[in-house]
Amino acid sequence: MTGDGLLVASGITKQFGGIVALDHVDLDVAAGEAVGLVGPNGAGKTTLFNCVFGLESPDAGTVEFDGRRIDRLPVWRRSRLGIGRTFQRIELFEGMTVADHLLVAEQAASGTVRIWRDFLHRGGPTPPELHHVQEVLDLLGLSDLAGRPVDTLDLGHARLVELGRAMMGTPRLLLLDEPSSGLDADDTAQLARILDGARRSTGVAVLLVEHDLALVESAVDRLYVLNFGKVLASGGVDEVLGDPDVRRAYLGSTA
Amino acid sequence: MTQFLDYAVPGVPFGCVFALMAVGLVLTYKASGVFNLAFGAQAFVSALAYVSLVQGGWPRWAATVIAVLVIGPVVGVLLDRLLFRRIRTASPLVKLVPSLGLLVALPQVALIITGSTPTIPPPAIVGNAQTVYLHLGSVPLSGLELSISASTVVVAAVLVVLFRFTPVGLEMRAVVESPRMTELAGVNAGRVSAFAWILSSVMAALAGVLLAPLYSQLDPQNFTVLLVWGVAGAVIGRFSSLPLALVGGLALGIAQEVIAGYLPAGVIANGLRPSLPFVVLLVFLPLARQRQLDDPLSGCDPPTSALERTTVGYRSASTVATSGGAGHAVGLWHERLEGGSPGRVTGVLTRRPTTTFAWAVGVVAVVSAITWVPADWLLTMNQGVAFAVIFLSLVLLTGMTGQISLCQATFAGLGGFMAGQLANNFGLPIVLGMVAGGLLAAGLGVVVALPTLRLAGLPLALATLAFALLADNILFPNSWVGNGAGGITLPRPSAGPVSFAAAKPFFLLSLVVLAVCAGIVKLVGDGTMGRYLSAVRGSELAANSVGIDVYRLRVLVFALSAALAGVGGALFGSLEGSLSATDFNYQISAVLLVVVAIVGLGSIAGAVVAGVVYATLQVAVTSLPSRFAGLVAVLFGLATLSYTRHPEGFLDYLSGRVQVALAGRRDRHAGDGPGAEPGVGVGVDPVAEGA
Repeated sequence: MTGDGLLVASGITKQFGGIVALDHVDLDVAAGEAVGLVGPNGAGKTTLFNCVFGLESPDAGTVEFDGRRIDRLPVWRRSRLGIGRTFQRIELFEGMTVADHLLVAEQAASGTVRIWRDFLHRGGPTPPELHHVQEVLDLLGLSDLAGRPVDTLDLGHARLVELGRAMMGTPRLLLLDEPSSGLDADDTAQLARILDGARRSTGVAVLLVEHDLALVESAVDRLYVLNFGKVLASGGVDEVLGDPDVRRAYLGSTA
Repeated sequence: MTQFLDYAVPGVPFGCVFALMAVGLVLTYKASGVFNLAFGAQAFVSALAYVSLVQGGWPRWAATVIAVLVIGPVVGVLLDRLLFRRIRTASPLVKLVPSLGLLVALPQVALIITGSTPTIPPPAIVGNAQTVYLHLGSVPLSGLELSISASTVVVAAVLVVLFRFTPVGLEMRAVVESPRMTELAGVNAGRVSAFAWILSSVMAALAGVLLAPLYSQLDPQNFTVLLVWGVAGAVIGRFSSLPLALVGGLALGIAQEVIAGYLPAGVIANGLRPSLPFVVLLVFLPLARQRQLDDPLSGCDPPTSALERTTVGYRSASTVATSGGAGHAVGLWHERLEGGSPGRVTGVLTRRPTTTFAWAVGVVAVVSAITWVPADWLLTMNQGVAFAVIFLSLVLLTGMTGQISLCQATFAGLGGFMAGQLANNFGLPIVLGMVAGGLLAAGLGVVVALPTLRLAGLPLALATLAFALLADNILFPNSWVGNGAGGITLPRPSAGPVSFAAAKPFFLLSLVVLAVCAGIVKLVGDGTMGRYLSAVRGSELAANSVGIDVYRLRVLVFALSAALAGVGGALFGSLEGSLSATDFNYQISAVLLVVVAIVGLGSIAGAVVAGVVYATLQVAVTSLPSRFAGLVAVLFGLATLSYTRHPEGFLDYLSGRVQVALAGRRDRHAGDGPGAEPGVGVGVDPVAEGA
């Protein structure tokens, strides 16, 4: 079951007590592809993310990344293999600056704790690292805020910092968990532009959980609909959103 | 079976007292989010009041009523009002430090009030402690055993009735679930939580009064040990179940007597008994749900404000600078970096304004020390330097990772003992012995870290506390480690013709050791690792998700911190010429943490100042008349109270004030041309100012 997918999750099953959160879910993302994951609240979208990323261990099923089984690896190993992720409820390093967020992520992605290097030359960032930080800052339009502690940012910028942090270390797959939640239309449009720019410049694949269908339609190539822990439909965006079952379950029958 | 009963029955009174402690701990923890380690001190205060009153001629029943039903609750309500209510939602460190400080200060304050330790052996509340009144089968039951067991049964019955059948019991259960929600439902949560404090304080008081007759003399130490057993009971109750905590405490009391009974006397049995709490903690802590342990209020009350979280702990100087504005959260200046357009990432910062001041003070102190300072002052300063090294280990561990260790003194002791043993038995030069002591302490650190570092916050603190107690009992008494009460001797170093035996050379050598250790801490704190640690403190989840191996990082830092403590302990031993287990027992660990937290965990200067403060305090305690020694304890207690207002520590508070003043002056001189520094002051928007 390798296929040519970058990420191949098959038969993912997860129960919490008596509740079946995920029931034999299959999902795959090809290299460079943008895939959307939609569904009503409680459908299991975030749980699926957590299973793929290692925050939850599925009761059954396998996860492969780049042809390699990763379902037993700890989170940080998956991250270093090239999976970046943002969180629905923002998780920033409070007290650190925007630029430091990106720098930490850049350095961590490249591997070991560099305690010995710290002793030798004070652990300063290398020019390539700084260069990459600046690149991502430019891409996100955050250069002016580079020195700001993240605690002082508004939600829109905070989400961008999270996105930028996930993009450090040149990941091959981004897992974005409702990146537009809490943002207004302008911010969301900017987010879509940034995402598009990132995909074009680095060829990163994206798996996007999102309620904002406008963003989904503009950003993804393919769509999965999850309902009660099962894949209700999958395929091209128009085709899936036109499916009557999907309309009933997710959009409400009259939509 | 009879033999088992022979062993088990004497354990029942202990078990009952442990159970009372455990239930009281769980009660306040659930109702106020504070794990009240001052509980042991509260027990001591009531026991002291009881014995003093009896000695003063009061009837025992009246003394009991006053001690348990008046003094106990009054102390509890005061603690709740003045202290713990304010820190309900603070970080584990901020909650733990005041209770540890009170654990040490409260008994001393009480001793000042009563004037002296009572001279009579503490009497049981009813009957005669030693007289046998009943036989259970062939097992004799003394007055003490009967009175303790009967009291515990009464308390348990009262609790059941209270929680099951009274409105305030219902409200208390609700507050335990969610204080905020209960308030919204129109219940005064503060009043209910105060009631919980009264109730638990009564239990602490009762435990103290009941237990007192087991010892021939009242000694605060006994009550601290009691506390650790109570903690183990509370852990069995998973910090949440009162009945389980009750049963757990009881079981522990019986188990420790049975173990002592069946095993032959000697080091093993003597060691196994005190190690029981540690084993229990290791086994049961992982079973309790981490989230619940972290903070019982986390699910329902607002989390700690970001500001509060970030102001506590080490502030790395290394941060990315941009040519447009300086970097870090609060109050850092940045070097002006030439070139690059505005807003470009240019390199690394920076310097704090207080650093210059700290260096100046340091230089003056060193020059004074080697020129005019008298010998006994120099000794004190040298002790300060040795302790500064140990405090550095806490700046590294607690300041940078936010993890709380209550066994740093154990590592210091191990380092000191090992350095001495290697020097005495193998002729290793003592300086190499210090390094070896540090390495061995690091090894022990890894051994402690591997099972405990999956825990965090409060559970980790409790596990390390229990470990410290374990080491005091089974590690240090060995002749090849601490040689029990006798202790060991340590030489002062000499290298060929150069001897460091005299006071001044040794002081200079100590400064070198301190400088090396401080350098290591600085390199770690300001380097990649410091940035990682700062990230982990900000969000462990996010740190993991960018590829940081949080667990390994923590083990590494824990080991490094243990090594520093070990070196500091060895330095202290070599300075003093001898070292015994009491120099570094588990209580010292608690005092060390409290001192450095109050002074400031945020910087290396904090460790140095804490070292000097600690050494000075010790001189004050030992050389002033005993009446004043108590005053030191009072001061210590007051400092603890002030800590809740400034959890960032005294130094950082001061540094913040200085920066505000400087920023004000800069603002007045704004527009002085390119020389004006685009620095960041507290509360000043860096972008607005730096653009």
